Amino acid sequence: MLDVALVLIAACCWIGASFLSLFRRLEEHWSRWLGITGALLGSLGAGHGLMNGVPSHIDFPFWHGAARLETDALSAAFLLPLHLVAGLGVVYGKEYWPLNHPRGTGRSLRFHYGVLVAAMTCLLVARHGLLFLLAWELMALSAFLLIGTDHEIPEVRRASWVYLVCTHTGTAMLTAMVILLAHRSGGLLWLPLPAGNSPTLDAWILLLAILGFGFKAGFLPLHFWLPSAHASAPSHVSAILSAVMLKMGIYGILRVSGLFPSIPPGLGAALLALGALSAVYGVGNALAQRDYKRLLAYSSIENLGIIGMGVGLGLAGRAGHDPWLVALGFGGAILHVWNHAIFKSLLFFGAGSILHATGTRDMEVLGGLASCMPRTALLMFPAVLAVSALPPFNAFLSEWFLYRGLFASLSRGYPWSAALALVALAFTGGLAAVAFAKFYGILFLGTARSPAVEHAHDPSWAMLLPMAILACLSLGTGMAGVLLLPYLDRIVAVVAPGSSAMLAQGLRGDMRLLVGAEALLVVVGLVAFLWWRRSTSSPEGESPRPPTWSCGYAVPVPRAEYTGSSFSDAWAPMQPGLRAKIRRITAIFPKPAVFRSEFRDLVGEMYLGPRMERIAMRLLRFRGLQPGYLSIYILYVLLALLGAFLWMVLRGRLLG
Amino acid sequence: MSQPLLPLSIQWAVHLLTLLLLPPLIPGLINKVKAVMAGRNGPPVFQLYYDLGKLAHKRAVFSRTTTWVFLAGPIGTVAAGLVAGLLVPFGHTGTPLSFEGDVILFAYLFGLARFLTVLSALDTGSSFEGMGAAREVAFSALAEPALFLGFAALAKASSSLSLSTMLLGSGLGSGRIAGPLILVLVGWAIVFLAENARIPVDDPNTHLELTMIHEVMVLDHSGRPLALVLYGASLKLLVLGAMLMDPLLPRAPQAWQNWLIFYGGLGVLAVAVGLVESMSARFRMTKVPQFLIAGILASAFAFLLLLV
Repeated sequence: MLDVALVLIAACCWIGASFLSLFRRLEEHWSRWLGITGALLGSLGAGHGLMNGVPSHIDFPFWHGAARLETDALSAAFLLPLHLVAGLGVVYGKEYWPLNHPRGTGRSLRFHYGVLVAAMTCLLVARHGLLFLLAWELMALSAFLLIGTDHEIPEVRRASWVYLVCTHTGTAMLTAMVILLAHRSGGLLWLPLPAGNSPTLDAWILLLAILGFGFKAGFLPLHFWLPSAHASAPSHVSAILSAVMLKMGIYGILRVSGLFPSIPPGLGAALLALGALSAVYGVGNALAQRDYKRLLAYSSIENLGIIGMGVGLGLAGRAGHDPWLVALGFGGAILHVWNHAIFKSLLFFGAGSILHATGTRDMEVLGGLASCMPRTALLMFPAVLAVSALPPFNAFLSEWFLYRGLFASLSRGYPWSAALALVALAFTGGLAAVAFAKFYGILFLGTARSPAVEHAHDPSWAMLLPMAILACLSLGTGMAGVLLLPYLDRIVAVVAPGSSAMLAQGLRGDMRLLVGAEALLVVVGLVAFLWWRRSTSSPEGESPRPPTWSCGYAVPVPRAEYTGSSFSDAWAPMQPGLRAKIRRITAIFPKPAVFRSEFRDLVGEMYLGPRMERIAMRLLRFRGLQPGYLSIYILYVLLALLGAFLWMVLRGRLLG
Repeated sequence: MSQPLLPLSIQWAVHLLTLLLLPPLIPGLINKVKAVMAGRNGPPVFQLYYDLGKLAHKRAVFSRTTTWVFLAGPIGTVAAGLVAGLLVPFGHTGTPLSFEGDVILFAYLFGLARFLTVLSALDTGSSFEGMGAAREVAFSALAEPALFLGFAALAKASSSLSLSTMLLGSGLGSGRIAGPLILVLVGWAIVFLAENARIPVDDPNTHLELTMIHEVMVLDHSGRPLALVLYGASLKLLVLGAMLMDPLLPRAPQAWQNWLIFYGGLGVLAVAVGLVESMSARFRMTKVPQFLIAGILASAFAFLLLLV
């Protein structure tokens, strides 16, 4: 009762913060502090719920029946990252998108931001089909308005419309799912279901859930709205969309599948394979990007694919009654949800700082930012290591769970999908290193490639503080992950009812040693660093800094620096979306060589885009029905009424 | 397990000393073999020790483009190599640090070293180093699946996820494993040559920056950071070499015999690498991915043989 009340008060705080931001006479900090209070209360409620492990709920009458709001371990697992990222985003947004923004969008941004957070909070506590759909729709609409914050730019408008269409297609499937679920359980309340007598119905409900929620989570063919939407939104909004809103799809799959007493076989393996494909596709496209925010968005597809692999592994374990697989799969998925929320919001905050300082999203004109934005560069360093799943940062732990689960399932009878996923995960790790070495190396290292970098400088503390907190969390989760095991067990018990607490007893010993090895890594690194330091503290003072050795050529020019496109040239041309135009040097008196590249998403922009345009052209024919005169519309109404009347009169006679 | 003639603590001390002191000997051996094959006298076997001692007393020069990231490469390589060296067994002598799932940490430690080296190369802003970094990440993305498929095969064969059991487990002696094991070792040998920047993937002695992969990434290092880079590279030779050799080493009853067998095996490996380097030329850059894919296929076949 207490926890759910706290979470609901948090939602009210966020709504209050939205409305306060509309009042011109109030100082901005009232709204900001109310939002931060909401974030703290929400985290407190969720954290308390997760700590003592007792679900708390409120029942009330709604829509001819009972409705329930409840926080259990699963809700808490998603409420925590939501309120963390939302709270930090409010702090970050103060400076990043000031209230008196030149394009006058400061107020609407703050309003919709609060509504989005409140909607997601309600979504996570709703245990009633209709309430869930209402919150889902509110989330979708506020996210649409947030993506379109910069609506004067055509590209942004387009991205937000594509998002709106996609999210509503997903909502349509979810509505069907909710109706079927209500049919199955005899009410809209979402409570654990008894064993059913129609496996087909169960399979349909789960399939619709995976499709509808998969649209939100960005699984493979349904991902195409995501890159442009995340690239177009203001960066702290991108952070919350990518770090939290995508996970609502994962939450939905986990919640709905957790209602069923058993899972049809094959579903888990299919989701595992789908996740593996999404991961490889996402990271492959990420490394081909020039726009660093799109790169991050594609990397979100990759990470959601990895989470999907975990969920698939867990579902396969449930179908095969293998609690160890269930624990590793779902546990790894949840841990990766947290980890991705931490490092991806850090990456988007950092990308926002760069955009704020330089005004461009094209990485080929940047470079050398580490010398003019040293603090940002330092804070982004843990993030790129974490997103490449390297120890000792947090994402390594969740991938370690997944690897263990995949190896375990190899020896237990799901060899094909697990083998595919294993190779995909290893390959994804390799490609993520390409993508993020490019991201960090091209943006921060080397020398500036254009004057855009000249006036770049570190942002103020309001933008750096959230990044610092996230960077510490990233390292802290990586080093202290063993403390999270009992909580992960509680969450797994909600997702897979009837499974016992396996992670804490099964993994604690191994994870202690793992953490020990990571700590040793840090210590050895420090020792090596100190050994180097001793040599530099010589009495002769600073040594001179010559230019970089460039094979005898003493005048290095930024134009000769390796670019991002050439860095990823081994893998990027394999991406079907990348079109490069190259005119090579051929003749004895050659014309200048030219290289141009352009990226369009395979599914969205290359396949669906032209077909949608064609359908739109065909539909133009009906435009004549819309002349714009009021009298004509009144005539339509009259005709419709007349038709309905005739139908009622003649129905009996026509149908016999 | 072999008879614990030496107490465990001494075993570990020997492991640690081997890990810390032995690595620079291996490149020396390889170079000696190459020199002998070419009819030269060649540098002394201990040349790398002298080089490291000399570099430790030199001051480092840093380009005016570089930042602190430049140091992360050398330091990360050594730190990751040392921790990975604690996870891998040196023959049948027991590992100081071993747990279920350490094999994943082992693989990702090398990923960490590579990532930091790449960033430190990009930090110089030199187009040559950028080129080397691009090649390194492109090829290692292919080496990773080969490594992991080999791990998957051995994990399936030994039903364990701990490096010492996987490489030295008792199940490896049976006839059913022999075929897949050979394939895994072929795949890993390719990974070993690629990861250590040896011929035919990369030539450590070339003087043309355009054809280098790994060497070009460390062109700008000097002084103690360069010493760390060289030491880290030899550490990698030792650790990956131990991983490659372990399944082949026979088990002796006494611990000191096991140590001797391990050192002997390491010598044979160094000679083998030297012979390969003497007898073949570096591949054209476009051939390297095909070579690495051959490694993936070998490991994948091994894995499939164990699945069916």
